Formats: sequence, structure tokens, C-alpha cells
Amino acid sequence: MIKLENLTKRFGGLVAVNNLSLDIPKGEIFGFLGPNGAGKTTTVKMLSGLVAPSSGSALVAGYDIVSQSLEAKKRLALVPDEPFVYPKLTGAEFLYFIGDLYGVPHSAQEKRIPEYLEMFDLSRWQGELLESYSHGMRQKLVIASVLLRDPEVVLLDEPLVGLDPKSARLVRDIILNLSRSGVTVFMCTHTLEIAEKLCHRLGILYEGSILALGTVDDLRKRSGQPLFDASGARVTLEDIFLTLTGGAEAASFL
Amino acid sequence: MIWLLLKRRALSAFNGLVSMKLWEFFIRLFFTLAGVAILVGLYYWFARVLRYLDGVQTIGPLLPWKLTSMALLITFSMVAISGLIAAMTTLYYSYDLKFLFSSPIPVRTLFLDKTIETAVYSSWTLGLVMVPYIIALGQVKGGTMLFYIYFLALMVPFILLGAAFGIMLSLALMYFFPTSRTRDAVWILGSLSLTFVYMMIRFVQPEKLSRPDTLEVVANYLNFLQAPTAPYMPSWWISRAMMGFLYGQYDKFLQYSALLFGSVIAAYGAMAYFSKWVYQRGFSGAQEGFRYGVKRAVPWTVERWLLFKGWLKGPEWTLLWKDRKLALRDVRYWSQLALIFAIVAVYLFSIRQLPVEGAAMKSLISFVNILVAGFVVASLGLRFTFPAISMEGRSLWVIKSLPMGMSRLMTEKFMLLSVPSMLIGVVLVGWSNLMLGADLFITALSTVTIIVVSLVCCCMGIGLGAVFPKFHVENIHQIESSAGGFIYMACCLAYLAAVLALEAYPVKMHFMDIIGHARWDMRWLSLCIGGLVALSAAAIVVPWKMGLKAIETYEV
Repeated sequence: MIKLENLTKRFGGLVAVNNLSLDIPKGEIFGFLGPNGAGKTTTVKMLSGLVAPSSGSALVAGYDIVSQSLEAKKRLALVPDEPFVYPKLTGAEFLYFIGDLYGVPHSAQEKRIPEYLEMFDLSRWQGELLESYSHGMRQKLVIASVLLRDPEVVLLDEPLVGLDPKSARLVRDIILNLSRSGVTVFMCTHTLEIAEKLCHRLGILYEGSILALGTVDDLRKRSGQPLFDASGARVTLEDIFLTLTGGAEAASFL
Repeated sequence: MIWLLLKRRALSAFNGLVSMKLWEFFIRLFFTLAGVAILVGLYYWFARVLRYLDGVQTIGPLLPWKLTSMALLITFSMVAISGLIAAMTTLYYSYDLKFLFSSPIPVRTLFLDKTIETAVYSSWTLGLVMVPYIIALGQVKGGTMLFYIYFLALMVPFILLGAAFGIMLSLALMYFFPTSRTRDAVWILGSLSLTFVYMMIRFVQPEKLSRPDTLEVVANYLNFLQAPTAPYMPSWWISRAMMGFLYGQYDKFLQYSALLFGSVIAAYGAMAYFSKWVYQRGFSGAQEGFRYGVKRAVPWTVERWLLFKGWLKGPEWTLLWKDRKLALRDVRYWSQLALIFAIVAVYLFSIRQLPVEGAAMKSLISFVNILVAGFVVASLGLRFTFPAISMEGRSLWVIKSLPMGMSRLMTEKFMLLSVPSMLIGVVLVGWSNLMLGADLFITALSTVTIIVVSLVCCCMGIGLGAVFPKFHVENIHQIESSAGGFIYMACCLAYLAAVLALEAYPVKMHFMDIIGHARWDMRWLSLCIGGLVALSAAAIVVPWKMGLKAIETYEV
């Protein structure tokens, strides 16, 4: 469903994403991990057409994101890390606006928008301007707008940042449901615990290149970590991540 | 601590300078030179006016001072209004405020830092415009070098006092009405005040200053000249101080200079002292969201109903619905309508006041009027059309991730802005023609021309606005005053000049026709018409295509 081949992005002399190749099948939840500045957000932006690749190719649902960008965009939905939305629209207006733009039938909008607002605890805020929404509320609204469109691919950039525990749980369940119904989810996150529980496969990006790719077990083997540490505790994805990206050494400075 | 805050500003400015690319340096250099050229032009104009006034028999020596105190009063009012509007952003809504307030910085220090920013931001352009005036006044009145030095030195507290008025008013407003809605109210009041000042400047008919016969009794005129202009305002103090210096009344000079410096110290001292209590409360209130309280989340309107029924198909209509909603709810946008009204009123008033005699002369003025009306349309475009793409702001990701070509976004902006732009142009030209009694040929020519000019300026505004977008600005003025805004205005003016030059031939033949000496050369006529069509087509297509390419490749 998502296929990247030698995808590269340069900003002047800086190579933000370097020869990235991935193949993510339909219905998979793919976790994209990496330290700050590794190139995760740039990859998501390239996939969603917000940034043009310098070289290489990317297919979404079989459509090239550069030459067939409109077809690709019809099938994918994005939740950016900073959910900037029009401050002078109300929450409900934003959802109708997105519904209209993506050609969601009006009968479906009338039925589903109140349901999503209810689901995300936004009903009593639906008539308020978005400038008065908190970060988490805007995040939930953008996720609701994604669900409204029935996309085939969902790109999530830090979807759980700013969400309260109840909403975070809801979003986790939504991601699982999307996957079960055949939607491919590409998720950048720093919440390793969630990534470990949710994602079928994980990729660790480091300085623009893939450092490790596979299931949690694959990554553990790649890092040379045992299943349990010396104290008998289970080795977590966080331990594996820090071993692979060098964060464990940094901690020794403390 | 204040030095540390000022140091961060100096460092930011320094880093901006050293990281400047060569092309950026040349653009800035070009703007600086253009600014200097404008100031030199202003100097010659001021000198001419002041010399003329000074030369009027008997009352001449009084006139330049009267004009000076009036000009200073207007400058003071403008700085005060500008200070109020700027303070509402810099003191309460700057991006860095949350970080600064959460840092261990005393509120007074923080206030002082933001006050310096507000005072400089709101007054430097107005202060700069006064420099050529002061030089011209000194030349006319025979001022020495010390005259210029003292006058410019006194301008500093004078301008700072103007800004202090605005800042104090913002503090008081936010203290007593600590809510985000206060900013909207200030925007409306600010726009209305600027509109009022602008209309007053024109409607008081300053040309009467040199024509005593226009006042009913000459004694009234002399009284008007001798009376102080707003004696309790700093504008009078600085005028009186400099008059005193020039005429050797040094006690007056010292007295009014001391009043200016004393007032500025007292004003800023008082603000700094009270800021600890007043500023914190206002800032806290400004962070609170406003409950809009719409009864129905998406009110049913004819437009919404048409969208619902599918009769308005395509994303352009949905975007149009969104933009209309945003414009009506954003006070900064619609409060400017008062200024448009003022521009139109002053424009038509000025046309009515023109001392033009004879049918041919009136028609000729109507023809030249196209240039002035076109300039007004282009200037309004700088405020509304040019920033249209940039106004998508940080929500641009929504549009860029749509399965939609960016040409549809530009088309929607054109749908939204072309009709009002054209209407204003037609009203200006049509009404002027009516008042001037222009003949049918000139009326038809000027009406068609202004329609085409309005549409071309609209396309240029949208296209160039996409070539030079500014999505991350704190206020719309940063978009208008950018390099792109300057290029847009230059392109519009060049286009207008070319249109008038191409229309000169048929207009000349028309006037020859009236006196019975016309010999129409169809080759020349075809060349003019062909030239107009080609020029207008190029003025639409080239910026549009450039803008389209720029926005399609723009990386969010």
C-alpha cells in the first residue's frame, strides 16, 4: 500500500532523508521511530505531498506521489504533528468543510459528524471557534476529519501528543480498528510503549537512513539485546531504541 | 535583565544580517534606496509648499508654523493610534510571550522590553517622514545646524509620548476588559480612528490655509493662525520650543523642551511602575479563549443549502464559503472596510473640489482619472488581494494535502476578490465621470478600462502573492510591507502607465474629432488595441503562472 524506493530529501547541503526504501502492506500499522531531526516528519510530508522528494519514488495505493499526486492524495489522510486549523471556524464547521472538500456525501456528513464529535467529547464545543480549542482538542478534531473521509492510508505524525489518557486510549483503539478494516497506518511517534503495543512492524530512522526494520523481536536481535535483562525484567522497545541510536551512552553523562 | 533581553534582539538582528544571502542584500539595498528616493521627493514637495506659504504677504511667516503644528498634531495622533494597535499584538499576543512569562524575568522588565518594541515598531516610519519636513522647514526659516539637531532631538520624546498614549490606553483597556475580545474592539476603534483622521485631513481643506478669502471674515483667519493648535498636546510644545529657538526666545525653548522630556520620563516611569499589577492581569485575560456560543454549529444559509444540494459543485465553492466566514469573523479584515469607505469618500470629494472649467478639460481629467482610480484599486489590492494566499497561514497544510490542483485555490481567491475590486473601480470612475460631466466616449473608455485594470490587478495580486507568500506572520501588515508587496505595487503602476500610454492615441483623436481635425489612422488604432489586449493578457497570465508554480512547489 505504501512503497518507497530510494526516497531522498535534501535541504541545501543537508540530507534529511537518505535513500529510504520501505514496503508496507495493506492493513499494517507501521511505526516510524527515531531521534529528533532524524527525518521522520520530512518523510511524512513527502508522502502527503507537502514536500517534494529530491530523488527516488514513493507510491501510495499504487499511485506515485509526484506524478499522480491527486490520485494518491484522494486515498491518504494526514494528521500533522502541529494541528493548525482555521482559527475562525467552529469545530463542526471545520468537519463540514473537510467533508465538502473531499466529496463526502452530505447525508453521510449529517449522520457522522455529530457522532464523531460525540465520540471525541467535542459536542459541547462544536459551536466554538477553533482559536479557543486546546492543542489536544484540535488534534482530536483533525483525527475526526480523517475518519470522516474513509481513507485507505493514514499518516499520523505524533498523534498522541497533547491527548488526555481517555482520548489517547480512544485513538489507540481507532488505529487498531482502522488496521482491522484494511487501512494502512504509518505512524511517527516517540511514545515507544504505544508503538510496541500497536505496531506490526517498526522502522528506526537515524540521520535520514533506516537503522533497523522489522518486528520488535527483529529489532531486539539487531540490537544484540536479550529477551530479559540482568535483573530479569523484560527488555523494552525503549532499551532497544536507545541501544541502536546511542541514547544509552548519552544517559551515562548524567 | 533588560540588557539580556535587548541583547537577544541585537543577536537576532546580527544573525539575520550575517546569514543574509546576496540576493536578499540587494533587495534590501533596493528598498533602502527607494525609501531614500521617496524621502528626497517628500523634502522637495514640503520645501515647495512651505516656501510658498512663507511668501504669502503679511501673514506669510505665521503660515509654516501653523502648518507645522497641524502636521505634528496629526503625526502625534497617528503614532498614538498605531501604538495602541501595535501594543495589542506585541504586549499581549507575541509568539515569545508565553516563554518570557514562564521565565524568571520580572514583569516590569518584560513590560519594558515589549514597550520598547511597541514604541519603535509603531513610530519609526512616521518619525522618518517628519525628517524631510524638518529639513525643509529649517531651510525656509533659515535654521542653523543647531536648529536641526535640537528639532530632531526633541522629536524623540515627542514620538515616544505618542506611542506612550497608545500603550497606556491598551494597558487600561486590557486591565478593565481582560479578554481576547478587547483586541477585536481595539481593531475596530483603531480602524475607525484612522478613517476619521484621514477624512478630517481632507475635509478641513488644508488648501484654504493659503486662501484667506475662503473664510468669511479675515479676522477669523488671523485668529485661527495666531491661536495655538491644541495647546495641551506635545505637538504644540515641540512647535513652540522650536519657534522659541529660532526667534531667540530661549526661555520658551527650554520650558517646552523640559516639558517634553519631563513628560516622557513621567509617562514611561509611571507605566513601568504600574505594569507589575496592570500588565500581568491584562496578559492573563488575553490568554482566555472567547466563547463564541453559536446556537447551531453550522448555521443554515442559502450558500450552505446550495452546497448541500450539490448545486455549487467543486472545492472552489467550499473554499469560498470558508473564506467568507473567516473574513466576516476576523475583525482585522472587515474593520478595514471603514478605511475603504473613507478612501472612496475622500476621492470623490477631491474630484468635486477640482477647479476644472470647460467640457474638453473635464473629459481630459476623466481620462487621467483612470490612473488615479487604478492606483486606488491597486492599493486596495495590496491590502486584500496580495495577502489572500498568505492568509491561509499555518493551515496551508489542509489545502496542500487536498486532492486538488493549486489553480483551484487561486481561482477561488479570484472569485472572492475580483467583484468587490471591480465594483470599487467602477464606482470611483463612474461617479467621477458623472461629477465632471465627461462625454460618452471618455465615459465608455474609462469604464471599460477600469474593469479590465481591476481584473488584471486582482490576478497580479493573487499571482504575486503566491510568488512571495508569508504564511508565518503575526499581522497582515508584515505581508503588505514585504518585498513582494512592493513588487506588486510597482508592477501595477507600470501596467497602469502602459495602459494610459496606449490609450493616449484614441483619446487624442477623440479630442481632435471634437474640434473637427481628426484623421484616424486605423493602423495606429489597431496597434493600440492590440497592444492593450496583449499587455493585459500578459499581465494576467505571467504572474498567475508564476504564482501557480510557486504555490505548487511550496514546501509546508
